Amino acid sequence: MLQGTLEVLILRCLKLQANHAYGISLFLQQQSDSEFVVDNGSLYPAIQRLLQRKWIQGQWKTSPNGRRARYYSLTAAGRKELLRATSKWQRFATAMAKILASEG
Amino acid sequence: MRALWSKIRNAFGKRSTIALELDEEMDAHLQFLMDENLERGMRPDEARTAARREFGNVRSVREKTYRTWQFPRLESFLQDLRYGLRGIFRTPVFSLVVILTLAIGIGANTAIFSTVYAVLLKPLPYPAGERLVWLGESSAKATGISVTWINFEHWQSDSRSFDGMAGFQNADLTLTGRGQALLTHAGLVTNRFFQLTGSRAALGRLFTAADDKAEKPETVVVTESFWAKTLGADPQIVGKTLTLNGSAYEVVGVLARDPGFFLRPVDYYLPLRPSAAQAAKRDAHGSMRVLGLLKPGVTLAEARTDLNTILERLAKADPGPEDGHRVYAAFLTDERTEGLGRVFVILMSAVALVLLLACANIASLLLIRMTTRAREMAIRTAIGAGRSRIARQLVTETLLITAIGGAAGVLLAHFCLRLLVQFAPRDIPRLAEATLNVPVLLFAAAVTIAVGLFCALAPIFSSGGVNLSILLKESTKGAGSNRVGHAIRGGLVVAEIAMAVVLLFVSGILMRSLYLAEAASPGFDSSDLLALELQLPSGKYKADAAILDFYNRLEDSLRAQPGVESVGAVNCPPGAGDCGDWWYSVAEKPTPARDDVPLTLLNVADPQYFNAMKIRLVAGRGPSSEDRADGPAVVIINEELAHAWWKDARSAIGQHIKLGGPYMKGPVLEIVGVAGNVPQMGLDSAPYPEIYFPSAQRVSSGMVVAIRTHGDPEQAAAMVRRTLALIDQDVPIQSLKPFDERLGATLKQRRFIAVLLAIFAGIAVLLAAIGCYGVLNYWVSSRRQDIAIRIAMGAGSVAIVRRIGRQAAMLAAAGLAMGLVGSWLASRWIASMVFGITAHDPAVLGFAAAGALMMVMAAAAFPLWRAVRVSPIETLREA
Repeated sequence: MLQGTLEVLILRCLKLQANHAYGISLFLQQQSDSEFVVDNGSLYPAIQRLLQRKWIQGQWKTSPNGRRARYYSLTAAGRKELLRATSKWQRFATAMAKILASEG
Repeated sequence: MRALWSKIRNAFGKRSTIALELDEEMDAHLQFLMDENLERGMRPDEARTAARREFGNVRSVREKTYRTWQFPRLESFLQDLRYGLRGIFRTPVFSLVVILTLAIGIGANTAIFSTVYAVLLKPLPYPAGERLVWLGESSAKATGISVTWINFEHWQSDSRSFDGMAGFQNADLTLTGRGQALLTHAGLVTNRFFQLTGSRAALGRLFTAADDKAEKPETVVVTESFWAKTLGADPQIVGKTLTLNGSAYEVVGVLARDPGFFLRPVDYYLPLRPSAAQAAKRDAHGSMRVLGLLKPGVTLAEARTDLNTILERLAKADPGPEDGHRVYAAFLTDERTEGLGRVFVILMSAVALVLLLACANIASLLLIRMTTRAREMAIRTAIGAGRSRIARQLVTETLLITAIGGAAGVLLAHFCLRLLVQFAPRDIPRLAEATLNVPVLLFAAAVTIAVGLFCALAPIFSSGGVNLSILLKESTKGAGSNRVGHAIRGGLVVAEIAMAVVLLFVSGILMRSLYLAEAASPGFDSSDLLALELQLPSGKYKADAAILDFYNRLEDSLRAQPGVESVGAVNCPPGAGDCGDWWYSVAEKPTPARDDVPLTLLNVADPQYFNAMKIRLVAGRGPSSEDRADGPAVVIINEELAHAWWKDARSAIGQHIKLGGPYMKGPVLEIVGVAGNVPQMGLDSAPYPEIYFPSAQRVSSGMVVAIRTHGDPEQAAAMVRRTLALIDQDVPIQSLKPFDERLGATLKQRRFIAVLLAIFAGIAVLLAAIGCYGVLNYWVSSRRQDIAIRIAMGAGSVAIVRRIGRQAAMLAAAGLAMGLVGSWLASRWIASMVFGITAHDPAVLGFAAAGALMMVMAAAAFPLWRAVRVSPIETLREA
């Protein structure tokens, strides 16, 4: 995956609802039609980096099936960052697509 | 920034909490996976194994996550430090040599710099010390002479460059009425003096404008130390009176802090007022100098122009003999340390050379060590350590050992400084204040870091071209034994020898000058001679007759004592400096131009003085008891003055000295004798023209009585004290010591510098010897196989010695050549401190070269011995 994409995807996932690490990895796998299989060795450090930048916050909660887990949610700064990153990625993707399509 | 901060916080504080949370979180994760697997119908143990597999390596995830919190740089720095410390302890001898070498280099520099800082750099302890100016007058013949009262008054009222001015001068008064009579030192000052120096009163008040006018009783402000020591720290002292020279002075205040009288300590301050003559005549000089506070932004040159304009205007309005006088102005900081700058530059250069030597030694040691460690480095590179990481580790290691050396150096400086201050001559202002304060410690730190970087980078640059892959293939010795390494080490040794030669030469020159000055014939016999310095209290001894009578009775009583051979008195003994000088001319010679009137020292001698001192009379006679106050005015001149006018000193007899020169009033005196020169300014000074008045014709209440005795000087001194007390116990003794000691003191500064430089030269030679030894020894080590083969092929000891000796000889020759050139250049620097020889004395130059040569030979001896002892069989088997 491209540098910094995983963080954006995590933010996007947490925009819907607070979630734990396992939930995040499930979400990413399902939403990408199993295109992205997230390695925990990347997921956990990425979560830590987001925490350090204060874009997300963690909280211990009990899950619907009765398991205690650490739930992450977006902070105000995280929301702002997601907006910035989304528009950046959209422009990037459009540009890529244009160039790749113009080949013919 | 915030991320960095939380990193730091977590690196130290929350680290364990994070670890626990992470483990718990991963546990939960595994549980979710397991739950799902169970739902799919797996057995519990199957479900757990599958979950683990799915999750991945827990430990690796943990490590990777930790890393986001860690400080990889800090961690690897700490690791470097650990390696460094380990390295230091692994080679203790090497480390000790490096640390000691550094401690000496940095210690010497720190100690000397702290004296430089205290004397030359530290701001004066006044509110605007950098704007304080010392003002005097200058004539065509003399600079910095005293300012006359009228000139001072006009400067004060008319100048626009100053925020304030104060006149000041020294005086000695006798304190009586408080136990034994005591000679005390006064500063006479006009009232603004305290304001300019930022002084405050601890008790009472300081002087105001009112104190500048004469009142009864007179007022005095005492210093805190005088108040504490002599006045018993009396809290009620204000309002009490002190009897000074027989007059009453009311104490009006105690100073909180003594402003310091620039050159000599003072007990108290009195208001400075002009005499009647000084208030009336523009050319009536006392000994007043002026302290001025420049307005901010005004330069010294502007201030000079300003004051000179005032003098020129006065010269037009009130013409007189001193119309040519101009202002002398210097910043107080410079005035006080005139001539010392050169001394400290020499000392600083010497210690800098010592430090360079230390650096060269350490760099060459590290170079040698690099070669023995080259394999270690190559292996580390091979298993993936980055080149920069290795370089960083080496730098850290060297910086660490330098830091330890620097700390040891500061410690060493602390002890050396105490010795230095104790040993230093008292006349260097503020030297006693030298301490290891913040600026000095900063200096030490800067020097340490610079040395550390130099020492750390030198081996790295020199090994920069080494191909590590080739190294690995080579046998044990590697990188540094290449040509470049050798050239660098050789260069270092050459530089070391050169620096040792220069320091040996400079210290040799100064030592020889000191020896010559000490051995210089003073023109009189100073053995078994006591000097009793007296100043009669002016209250009790007002009339000339009373003063003469006192000294006559004292000398007669002393002569009557057993063991006393002869007694005589003089106003200004040899070595006492300038106790007064004046213009003169010779009546029988052509009149000099106004700007060419010569100066002579003035002195007063009694009839027995020349006899007691055994000063040679070149012609005529000395003062006699026939030279009465009402008799014909006569004078004895010294040889220097006589030779300035007459080829044969005897022709001077019967001719006349006109005191004051042809353009000023003054008596005409008949020359009745010519006396041999004595070193009036100190043993290492050139002779200066001097005239002696007979004591009855120019009465002086301050005289130094020279007493030639036999036997124990301690007992003689006690006898002198007893004799004096019998005649008048209210006369304080200013000093009583052997003449030898008095004269020796004039060489104190010279001795101080010479001894310090000798010590530095000794250290330099030692360091250079160690450096030579190290390189030659290494050279032998790295050539053992080569030597072994030669011996096996039948080369004798002589051939081996010649081979290595040639190496040493080449280094020595190059070092000597450079050192001699350096010495030649250095000789110009020390020319002003040379006495009795030329600044590039060939004998001393030879001595320096010989000393350096012996040093190299001594350093080469052990490596040579090792080379000869190489056993071919063992060595070749090792290979």
